[in-house]
Amino acid sequence: MDTYFLMQLINGLSVGMIYALIAIGFTLIFGVLNVVNFAHGEMYTIGAFAGLVCINMIHAPLAIIIVAALVAGGLSGIGLERIAFKPFRRFQDEASLKSRAMREATLLSSLAVSIIIKEVIQHFFGAEMQTIPGQYMLNNPIQVGPLSLSSGQFLILGSSILMLGGLQYVLYHTRIGLSIRAISNNPLGAKYVGLSVDKTIISTFAVGSMLGGAAGIMVGLYYGAIFPTMGFTPSIKAFVAMVMGGLSSIPGAVICSLILGVCESLATNYLTQGWSDMVAYSFLIVTLIFFPQGIFGSRRERV
Amino acid sequence: MTDNKLVSHSVRANLLVLGLLALVLGVVPGVLSFLGKSYYMQVANSALIYCVVAASMNLITGTAGLMCLGHAAFFGIGAYTAALLNTHFGLPFLLTLPLGGVAAGLAGVLVALPTMRLISIYFAVATLGVGEIVHVTLLNWVSLTRGPMGMQIYEPITIFGHQFTGLLSIYYVIAVLACVSIYLLWRMNHSYFGNALRSVREDDQCAEAMGISVVKLKIQAFAASTFFTGLAGAVLAHSAGYISPDSFQFSESILILTMVVVGGLGSLPGSILGALLLILLPEVARGLGDMRNVAVGVVMFLSILLLPKGIFGEVSAIEVARKLFNSAWDGRNAVGWK
Repeated sequence: MDTYFLMQLINGLSVGMIYALIAIGFTLIFGVLNVVNFAHGEMYTIGAFAGLVCINMIHAPLAIIIVAALVAGGLSGIGLERIAFKPFRRFQDEASLKSRAMREATLLSSLAVSIIIKEVIQHFFGAEMQTIPGQYMLNNPIQVGPLSLSSGQFLILGSSILMLGGLQYVLYHTRIGLSIRAISNNPLGAKYVGLSVDKTIISTFAVGSMLGGAAGIMVGLYYGAIFPTMGFTPSIKAFVAMVMGGLSSIPGAVICSLILGVCESLATNYLTQGWSDMVAYSFLIVTLIFFPQGIFGSRRERV
Repeated sequence: MTDNKLVSHSVRANLLVLGLLALVLGVVPGVLSFLGKSYYMQVANSALIYCVVAASMNLITGTAGLMCLGHAAFFGIGAYTAALLNTHFGLPFLLTLPLGGVAAGLAGVLVALPTMRLISIYFAVATLGVGEIVHVTLLNWVSLTRGPMGMQIYEPITIFGHQFTGLLSIYYVIAVLACVSIYLLWRMNHSYFGNALRSVREDDQCAEAMGISVVKLKIQAFAASTFFTGLAGAVLAHSAGYISPDSFQFSESILILTMVVVGGLGSLPGSILGALLLILLPEVARGLGDMRNVAVGVVMFLSILLLPKGIFGEVSAIEVARKLFNSAWDGRNAVGWK
């Protein structure tokens, strides 16, 4: 097989993994609350900036930087939930938890919070791309047979597989994961058997935003691009992947993210950089028109 | 109701309309030209344009309840159509203006045809995708749109041979157009059509069962709304003289949505107030420097939290419409109001 093609494939897989990490956050939050968190892209930005601050302040090794991004993502996820979602959850019954008014209010409040976060970051760091010290950049070439890959691709693929495994463990083998799954299945039933809806929602936001934050710093170091609006495009694409995957299916979201990433990087053979963004948006429109429930979605009544 | 009261209602309605017209056409330009700062005039122009955009978006997002996250795309289609027709074919303002509206309306119908089956969040996502597609196209189709460099329109607004070059005269062109479009949107909002849209918003299955053709109605509303947005875009292109894809990206859609939400979903006077607030707020808050966009976010957040119905909620807007125009609706044309 063509080596260039293989390299693009691996590149696409690593981009797809990043989308997957963001899409999982969207999917978890949608599963539990039935709302779309439009500030999720900002968790990605916050992760990247937290890593950058760590690099500049304490010159920490890479592992610690990623941990810092995870922590920053998790904490800001919790903060986001408290500020933008909690105040609108005035009633606890299922009808109002999943009501349309609640959905629209939180959609707009998360949008508002995302504007505020973006502007505050821009105020403190400036709108331009941040400079990253050379030794932290993840683009050392690594030769594997005829392929020349970079260390960033290995790091992204490796650590995202690690994080996906961790997520699987959390969701299926811990109490928190069990309650997240219970509440996304049936909030009222979960409440009746004694689960705390509030705590579970917080932990969902924490888990989802941690993955987003980690994705942010990895992309930032791989592409060398950390700037206040960096979260927008990847989060829209992750969102597309989530819709393609059927909104509340994690495997669906991951598979669709990988498909999206690979298609995008293969499309750069034929299209220029700017137009390759179209791939994701046309996937979105095609999915919504032909498979409104998503390719891997369970059957729902109406979409 | 006695005849006497009917008269006073219509008098009050006329007085209100006259007062607003006097404010827009007399007081505001008077004060602005007295102050003599051309910058304020430009702010007033863009405020009026955004009033039309917000009022037209209110028709679909507020009255029909279709959350649209890509409205700036239609704004951009209108603006670019007008600019391209003017620079490449030399069409006059009187032609590019309606053609900009028609192009945006056609695009709206094209978008609406496949997406109108979708409800709530799915529709929002689809319009977001459309908005991004239009933005990417404007940005990358360099041979047509000159990409990120933007387009310039050198020809001044010309109507029947009269050139509108001064800022004050451009203001009057925009003001007249804004008044006419807002009046038309107001009549659509408070008619049988508007009420049918409200019923679709509240429960589309129920509306369908009552004999309303939901999809057709939604497409009509979407076409009307995008038409007026395109019109506003064409006016923007001609009055500003320069457009670039940056003015029609996702954040712009969000700004328009914020105007409608802050003013009150479903209330036309509310969305106009919201547009004025969000255009004038960054100017008033100029002292905050970089932080003025934060102020926009904070206003949006607080208004959702504290005023879930908006500044001028839909219920009170309908009350006003009923009180003022009762004479017209109370008698033979009472469809949908009783």
